[in-house]
Amino acid sequence: MKTPSDENHDLIRWLDGEMTADERRTFEATLQNDPELAAEAESMRQLSESLKTHLPAEMPVPHADFFNSQIQVRIAQMDLDEAREREKAAASTASWFSWLRMPWLAGAAAAAAAFAIAGLVWTQNSSSGTSTIASTYTPNPAVHAQVFHSSDAQATVLMLDGLEPVPAEKKIVGFRVHRAESDAELATTTLFDENGAVLAVVAMNAKGQPTLLQ
Amino acid sequence: MMNEEFRMTKEYPIPKSEVHPRKAWLRAWCFLILSSFLILNSSFCPAQQPAPVPAKKPATDGKVWGALVYATTDAAKLTGSSEKAPENQKDLFGRLGKVFMPYTHFEIIGQHVQDVFREYESWVVPSRDLFLKIDSKGPAPDGGMNLHLQVWREQQVLVKTDAVLHPGSPLFIGGPKWRDGQLLFVLDLAKK
Repeated sequence: MKTPSDENHDLIRWLDGEMTADERRTFEATLQNDPELAAEAESMRQLSESLKTHLPAEMPVPHADFFNSQIQVRIAQMDLDEAREREKAAASTASWFSWLRMPWLAGAAAAAAAFAIAGLVWTQNSSSGTSTIASTYTPNPAVHAQVFHSSDAQATVLMLDGLEPVPAEKKIVGFRVHRAESDAELATTTLFDENGAVLAVVAMNAKGQPTLLQ
Repeated sequence: MMNEEFRMTKEYPIPKSEVHPRKAWLRAWCFLILSSFLILNSSFCPAQQPAPVPAKKPATDGKVWGALVYATTDAAKLTGSSEKAPENQKDLFGRLGKVFMPYTHFEIIGQHVQDVFREYESWVVPSRDLFLKIDSKGPAPDGGMNLHLQVWREQQVLVKTDAVLHPGSPLFIGGPKWRDGQLLFVLDLAKK
């Protein structure tokens, strides 16, 4: 069974004269039995005739000379770029080979290798066991975090600049916390001194901020 | 004959030692109800309190020492705190002096030795004014530990940071100015 698209395809081929003699006979027999298809074929034939009458068979390309010259310029530029890349690669290889011919190269290479090995050993020793800071975030935009490592102090330093000073009259109370117990259900941490006495309880408020209860 | 026997059997007096069938049924029902009650009671309502289950100690990834230090240029301005640095931090003030110039005098205001819990947050609270929240992110190579740190000043978070701490390589945090000096926070990972 032929679908409408098949019929349209056959119709177009019939109009364009692309059918073989057998196909044309078969299709024309179909047209005689299908008035609807025949009407469509006639309509399309008239449209095709009208187009052929009003439009020229060939249309000249506007500014064809300019168009062609621009294409030729682009092609020439691409060829030139490729040639330059090839020359550069060849020169680079040649220069490496010329360096390899230098008599002092062996000594220089040995010194460079020794330097690289020493550097690697130093890097491993220095990075091993040194605390590092991967990232910092200060919610207050007025506060800036500066991170550096002090070799003299053998410490990693996180300097917070721009903090509001603690009022001088405020008494800073220190704890000596010996141990702490966390209650996951209550989300609290109880701090104990060395005698087992409770120093404070850290609890989170509704805003997720810690509150110290004493 | 049969009728006679039947009549005799039916009218035979029941000895006192034997139980009437109705009473036997009653006893059986009572026994059944009582035993059911006892079984249910023993199953759901234990007669005595169970032995207390010892609290399970939460898993830890390590231990840290945290301290709040006051740095100043004038010894007379020290607060007079009696806190002493632990044995493994004897050179702490000298190391702080190399970083936090021009301060020359340091004193520990408070200190806290804290387990770093594997599953829960850990708090290092050497003072109620400046303290630290730690979330473990697991061990790092060479005995280190990956940590997420938050420095809190009362209810305000000053900085959030991801750090890798190693024993003997402390983290010095330069905090707010106070009086004539500055408050510093020191965090060091203890050796396992």
